[in-house]
Amino acid sequence: MKAGNGILKGEYKVKGGKLIKCMIELQEGKIKEIKIHGDFFMYPEEAIEKLENGLKEIKFEEEEIKDAIEKALKGVELIGVSINDFVYAIMNSKRIQQI
Amino acid sequence: MKLRLLIHEYNNAYTNMAIDEALLQSAKPTLRLYKWKPSAISIGYFQSIKEEVNLAECGRHGVDVVRRITGGGAVYHDTHGEITYSVVLPASLFPTIMESYHAIGKCLIAGLRELGINAQYAGINDIVVNGKKISGSAQTRRHGFILQHGTLLIKVEPEKMFSLLKVGKEKISDKEIKRIEERVTSIEKEIGRIDEEEIKNAIIKGFEIGLNAEFEERKMEEKEKRMAEKLVEKYESREWNFKR
Repeated sequence: MKAGNGILKGEYKVKGGKLIKCMIELQEGKIKEIKIHGDFFMYPEEAIEKLENGLKEIKFEEEEIKDAIEKALKGVELIGVSINDFVYAIMNSKRIQQI
Repeated sequence: MKLRLLIHEYNNAYTNMAIDEALLQSAKPTLRLYKWKPSAISIGYFQSIKEEVNLAECGRHGVDVVRRITGGGAVYHDTHGEITYSVVLPASLFPTIMESYHAIGKCLIAGLRELGINAQYAGINDIVVNGKKISGSAQTRRHGFILQHGTLLIKVEPEKMFSLLKVGKEKISDKEIKRIEERVTSIEKEIGRIDEEEIKNAIIKGFEIGLNAEFEERKMEEKEKRMAEKLVEKYESREWNFKR
């Protein structure tokens, strides 16, 4: 159960694709801050900030996260990763610190 | 198609990235060949400098670090170990982004063939020889034009390269290669010689074949130089390089 407070870190290598890294700060079961890094391609590139902002205040639950990512990346072209890969990387991140 | 050819010698990392961005803004079909002095690491737009780069080791070796406007991975640009190309083309030449990567990849493969190297396209943005990477590229797009830039390894010192980069275990395990040194090769390794003129001519020839292009060697325009000078400030800034 990842709900609650804490810092989570995720790293997911897409098979035949790129690497996604994420760092998440959870507060009361919601994403307070998130940074998504990696060697993927996203067009336009500035959409990454929209993605990170779109995930703030979202409950740490798969469906809600997926909805938020789909909304933030509407019309954005991804290469080397997919929306589901971002969801997987986030949901499979591990707690590295309790706060 | 007519393309402008810019042959640049050495610049530092910030100037190199500023020139590429200025050329994209200028939107004139161009192929540029260049090198880096001092040696530098460029990181992809989406990468975290602290996660990817061993900054202490870079400091010890006098290696600069710069964030690109293009996505993709971190690249070590050794002063004597690689040639970088950048190409600005109308996006309308290619139906999709992936097709543009492939079309430019074909130019690089044709160029390597001129040198007697049998290379293949691999994954999204790499060129390999017998499964070992010899070139990697990254692309961005603005107002109907693409900028793709990439490295071509001439001489490789894997130990130094990987001491400067923090190479994640996940990335290696996927490629099922135990020793990271076995992941890369170079023109020197493949053909046993380095003749920079020969290499540059081969790359140009590869683009002539791949894009059915004619080249005219020119200089940067004054307007482009001014644009690049202004952009250098961004690429030198901590705000840009540490932004993610």
